[in-house]
Formats: sequence, structure tokens, C-alpha cells
Amino acid sequence: MQKLLEIQNLSVNYGAIQALQAIDLFINEGEIVTLIGANGAGKSTTLKAISRLVNPVGGRIFYQGQDVTRMAAHQVVRSGIAHSPEGRRVLTRQTVLTNLELGAYGRSDRLGIKADLEKQFLTFPRLGERRQQLAGTLSGGEQQMLAIARALMSRPKLLLLDEPSLGLAPQIVLEIFAVIRQLHQQGVTILLVEQNANLALQTANRVYILEAGQLTLTGNAAELLTDERVRQAYLG
Amino acid sequence: MDITLFLQQFLNGLSIGSVYAIFAVGYTLVFSILGIINFAHGAVFTLGAYFTYFLSGGAVGTNGLLANLALPFQFSFAIALLLGSILSGLSAIAIERLAFRPLRLKGADPLLTLVSSLGAALVIVNVLQYLVGAEIYTFSEGIYGDLPASINLGTAERPIMIRTVQIIIFGVSAVMVGILTYGIGFTRMGKALQAVAEDATTASLLGIDPERFITLTFFVSGFLGGMAGALVGSSVSIASGPYFGIAYGLKGLGVIVLGGLGNIPGAIVGGMVIGLAEAFVPTDFSGYKDAIAFAILFVMLLVRPQGLLGRSRIQKV
Ligand SMILES: Nc1ncnc2c1ncn2[C@@H]1O[C@H](COP(=O)(O)OP(=O)(O)OP(=O)(O)O)[C@@H](O)[C@H]1O
Ligand SMILES: [Mg+2]
Repeated sequence: MQKLLEIQNLSVNYGAIQALQAIDLFINEGEIVTLIGANGAGKSTTLKAISRLVNPVGGRIFYQGQDVTRMAAHQVVRSGIAHSPEGRRVLTRQTVLTNLELGAYGRSDRLGIKADLEKQFLTFPRLGERRQQLAGTLSGGEQQMLAIARALMSRPKLLLLDEPSLGLAPQIVLEIFAVIRQLHQQGVTILLVEQNANLALQTANRVYILEAGQLTLTGNAAELLTDERVRQAYLG
Repeated sequence: MDITLFLQQFLNGLSIGSVYAIFAVGYTLVFSILGIINFAHGAVFTLGAYFTYFLSGGAVGTNGLLANLALPFQFSFAIALLLGSILSGLSAIAIERLAFRPLRLKGADPLLTLVSSLGAALVIVNVLQYLVGAEIYTFSEGIYGDLPASINLGTAERPIMIRTVQIIIFGVSAVMVGILTYGIGFTRMGKALQAVAEDATTASLLGIDPERFITLTFFVSGFLGGMAGALVGSSVSIASGPYFGIAYGLKGLGVIVLGGLGNIPGAIVGGMVIGLAEAFVPTDFSGYKDAIAFAILFVMLLVRPQGLLGRSRIQKV
């Protein structure tokens, strides 16, 4: 298997706070990898470092063998990494349709974009019914669907998902995870950050556990699901 | 007030209001994208007036380093206005690079940028004074070619005279507002600009380069500000020399607060409201026009603190 993304020795600081301390992580093409850990462990920071919203103080990030550590955020998307951020961050004053169209901002293949739009409406029929609605007036679950669909509009090879289940009713969470599995089957590689460790472990191939900015454990998701330490710390 | 006079004042108000509107739109655009008031906008207004004055063949006065200088050629007013506005837009980009960007990249407090934009305004005014002196510049009479100085919109018995320049001001401003509304509301780039204004970080995750759009915003802002200066200057002269734009800058600030900071339709409506209100100030009080404009502003803000079209502070998150 080929490594799609590889992080070496990555450290990120916010002023005096060391949010990430020399973490190493890789993702193979076609995998779902999940990153779990307590609040403030540095999960979102890891995703932000990959999509270049924060500057690392040390370490390297390779994507398809290329060093992208210093690339600008808007170029990262164009190279095939899409980030659906924590808190969804839909453009509240724009319609659902405009949000999706802007998701494809880096592309110029009109027909392909059109086809992908229809594809999102097929995956998320609720978005299709609300395409002219302002995104700020969508429900939390619909906004999450929009955030994922918008990320997909860039036709990513690697999808970074930050807590897609946050604050959603159990029924909606299941819907969203069904979509994540479906995307995986279609060949999208996924790095999933989750609070819901149980669901994340059931969905992913491999797991990294982050504690206070350091990776403490990694392994096969199915195995860690039955691991005593993991059960106690994260699965309650 | 008889109907003829009323109509005349109304048309005056439309004309000056429309120029306030494009000036204020330029002002509010920068606020919408950076959340900072660009105090140098009034100085760009002045620059636009001078650029257009010189490009249309005007000579420098008898003071200043460039005394008596004039271009060896001259453009028609339309071309001079267009080129002058472009130069104003480029000046605004230069202001962004020198006074805004370095602080932004360091993550400085917006208040510091406010002060550095004020500094940029002072530098421009002083350099202008050094180069072209502080005298009043008046555009030459024949600047609009063969057009008559004023035309009668009424009848021979009941004339409603309106100065040609006011029709030009209103027409040009209306066209600019139209282009801008279309460009921002309906094009791919306009939507990307709105995305940067709402959330620059998220926009960058979508493949939009926020810095490029900040540059574009300053260009458009300077273009509109400079054009407003040139239109007013050609209508009533570049009064008070390099300090020309200061009073307009303050009034523009009032207009964008009135319209709701960062709100483009609000800036247009606000400009028209202030322009019309001023036009109906009785001649006996015309010396207090600015005070009256700000009094209206104050009362309106007591009723609607978020501005005419501004979003209310209470928002659904
Ligand atoms: N912009 C910032 N400025 C200062 N500190 C920050 C900033 N962003 C994050 N931090 C700090 O960095 C650490 C890691 O934050 P991060 O958001 O990556 O955590 P997380 O694992 O995603 O947590 P959560 O599960 O709550 O989302 C935290 O201690 C946080 O307080
Ligand atoms: Mg987080």
C-alpha cells in the first residue's frame, strides 16, 4: 500500500502552549484513519497543520511524496486535500448552492462540477431540497452535511473530517457515518477526528490516540476496540 | 416650497447623494473584508481629484515643487476620469501594502491598523501639499466638451434647471453601483469575495486566496473613492487643496455607520439619505450642512444602532 500522507516529527505551538509535540503519523491510500483523544489533546490542530491553517514550528508533512509543509492553505485544497472543519463553518450568508459552488472554487471543469453537485444532492437529498436556502438557517445536522458536501466538491483524494458528530442527534450521526463509509467505498481516503470513540473505532481501519499533544497509542481499530486501556479511557 | 424648487433640490440631492454612495461603498468594502475602517480613504478621494485634474490637462499652481507643470498632452474628461480612478485604485493597493499588510501578517490589533491608516492619510496629504501646494484647483470650463453647462428639464414657463455635471455625476455613480452590485452578487469572483468577507479562514480552505481578494478590494475601493473625488472636484473645484478629502472622509464615515458597517446596500442608501437631506437644508442654514447631516445621523442611530440595513447584533449562531 502507498502512503498518501506522512507526518514526521510535527510540532505546533500557540504562543507558549505546545499543542503538538513531535508527532508521527501516516495514512495509506484508501484508508479511514481516526484520531481520538480528550478535549484539548491537539486533534483539530493536527488537521489544521495539514490544511495549513497553522504553521508548524518543526517537522514535515508529505502528501503524495511531496513536501507540503510550507504550502499556502488555498493551494493545499487544489492539490487534493479537503478539510471539513470543526464547528462546520458553513458560509451562513450564502445559499446552500453557493456554498457548494465555492467548494469547487479551485476547479475549472464546469461539467465535472455540475455532475458533482448532482452527486451531493443524491447523497444528501435534504441539501437538494434546500439548495436556495441560506446556509445559516439550516439545522445543525444539515449544516454538517453541507460542510462535508462542500469539502467533497473539490474532489479530494484525502478528506479531513473534524468531529462530524458534534452536537447532533443519534439518528443524524448514524446517517453521517453511513455517508462516511460510502465515501470510503468510493475510494476517498479519510482522516476522521472524533469524540465519539466507539463509532470512530467501528468505522476506521486504523487509530491514533493523542494525549496532551503527544501520540500515545496507535494500531488496528478492531483490535483497539477490545483493548482494556482504550475501553477504560475512551469508551467508558 | 413650490414644486419646481422642490424638484430642483431633489435632483441636486440625488446627484450629491449618489457620489456619497460610491465613496461610501468603497469605504465600507474594506471594512467588510478586514473589519477595519480605512482612514486613508478620504486621502484617496483627494488623489482621484488631482489625478483626473492633471490627466484632463490641468496645470499645477504656482506653489509646490511641481509648480506650473502640466502634461504635454490632455485626455478627454471621460478618459481622464477612468485613468484617474485606476491610479487611485493602485494608490489604495500601495496603502494596503504599506499600512495594512505588514501589521495584518503580524496579527496586530486592528486598532493599530486604524492608526497606521490615519498615518498614511497624513503622509499623502503632506506629500501632495509639498508637490502641488495648498491652493484651490478648479477644473477648466470646457472640460465636458460641447455639452451645455445646464439643461432645462421643465418648460419655458416653469424651468427646472439642472447642471450637466450633476447629471454626469448621477449617471456615472449609478453605473458604478450597477456594475458593483452585479459583480459582487452574481459572479464567481464576487461570491468568493463575500466568502472572504464572512470568514477568510474558511474561504482559504475552499481554495480561495484571501490575500488576492484583499488586494482586489482595495483596488475597487480606491477606484470608487478616487472617482468620487474627481466627480466632486470637477463639479465644485478641488477646494481646500490637499485637505479636500478630509471633510468627505468624515461624512463618508457617517454614511457607512448609518448604512450599517460593512453593508454595501446600506452604504448606497445611507449616501442617498445624507445627500437628499443636505439638499433640503434651507439656504439660510447652508453653512451648517455638515452639522445637520451628523445630527440626522445621530438621531437615526439612536433608533437603529446597527444602522439602516445592518444586521441586528443579536444573531442566531
Ligand atoms: N488559536 C489558539 N490559540 C491558543 N491556543 C490554542 C489555539 N487553538 C488551540 N489552542 C490550544 O491548543 C490545544 C489543542 O487544541 P485543539 O483544538 O487542537 O484540541 P482538540 O483536540 O481538537 O480539542 P477538542 O476535542 O476540544 O476539539 C488546546 O490546549 C487549546 O487550548
Ligand atoms: Mg477540536
